[in-house]
Amino acid sequence: MMLINWEHELDRVGHRVILSGLPIAMHCHHYNINLEKMLEDTMGETGIRLLFEAAEEVSFYGFTSFLRHYSRIKTIKSKLEVASTIYQNCGLGVMHFQRIGNRGGIIVSPSSHHVTGWLAKHGKRETPGCHFARGWVAGVLEAVYNQPLHHFAVEELTCKMMRHDECKFLVKER
Amino acid sequence: MAIDGSKIIHAVMEGSRIREAKGIIPLFGVYLSLFFVQYYNKLSFDFEKEMGREHESESAALLIEAAQECGYATFQGIRNSREWEGLVLPMIETKEDQIFSFAAVAVAFGWGDLDVRELIPDEKLVIRVSDSYEATGYLQLHGLATSGKCYMLRGVSGAFMDLLYGEDYPDGCFTFRAEEPFCRAKGDPYCELLARRTSDKRHA
Repeated sequence: MMLINWEHELDRVGHRVILSGLPIAMHCHHYNINLEKMLEDTMGETGIRLLFEAAEEVSFYGFTSFLRHYSRIKTIKSKLEVASTIYQNCGLGVMHFQRIGNRGGIIVSPSSHHVTGWLAKHGKRETPGCHFARGWVAGVLEAVYNQPLHHFAVEELTCKMMRHDECKFLVKER
Repeated sequence: MAIDGSKIIHAVMEGSRIREAKGIIPLFGVYLSLFFVQYYNKLSFDFEKEMGREHESESAALLIEAAQECGYATFQGIRNSREWEGLVLPMIETKEDQIFSFAAVAVAFGWGDLDVRELIPDEKLVIRVSDSYEATGYLQLHGLATSGKCYMLRGVSGAFMDLLYGEDYPDGCFTFRAEEPFCRAKGDPYCELLARRTSDKRHA
């Protein structure tokens, strides 16, 4: 079942690009990865936290707004399906919400923009690097399960930036 | 022939709707992502805040540098892409037309209504933007600023000039540096990016 009309959701209003009523920008892997590396190099764990929190907060409010607009999407399964579709349609990659519940669970991503970009620019990492994806997952799940911001913690157990087979995220309540 | 920005916008919008099975959007020689501008604004301005006022110039320089390196690599990829060859190259008559094309791509990407106001080859570029998402975002998040806040656009403006008048890729980045004498975030009616050649290539 087609839950969203992407042609309608992604549009232009003058020079602005709009997704579900909110302004977006198209940025390439060079910018996204430069920002991540600069923040990590400059601030270490604090920079990683900033990346996580920015992605979490913005995906939380963005997806909450989206669900309000699409009130016919009622079930948790449908909401998670839409979240996956948006992630993919935004060129962010593939995210499988298969073993997840309101207390947390495991999420798997077999491919992502940030992994592809990081490997293209810098090659293999020694530590997990999908800080954006962790934040995005937290924010979206908080919106889906009607929880407040910062309700979920997300840890990356395996990461394709480290040449693991897939990125695997452990979601827990804080 | 003038650069027809509407053709570029159309191509970007159509291309951004095509992604491969892995959820990646390969377009104009780069991997594109679409995400809310609030993310980029929150990230930049939270970073600046975390660095503290005493390091304001350092945090600004880091954000501009990240954007300039990006712009340099991104638009090098763009001008070597098959989309550029098929769509933009037929509209280009002079070397300087590339700058107008780069600006049209930036508009298509949702970075603002970039308007090239002045271009003196190998010397100076002035781009005016009346709706930069960075300026808008700063005003929404923090109110009036005391300095320009369009760090991404500053870096990208410098990169445009680097690609045309710097040494051959990849050795020409930071040949130019952009200032922002006017910014809506500090109450000006528009933002203006002014790129000039630097004497010290990287940190003039």
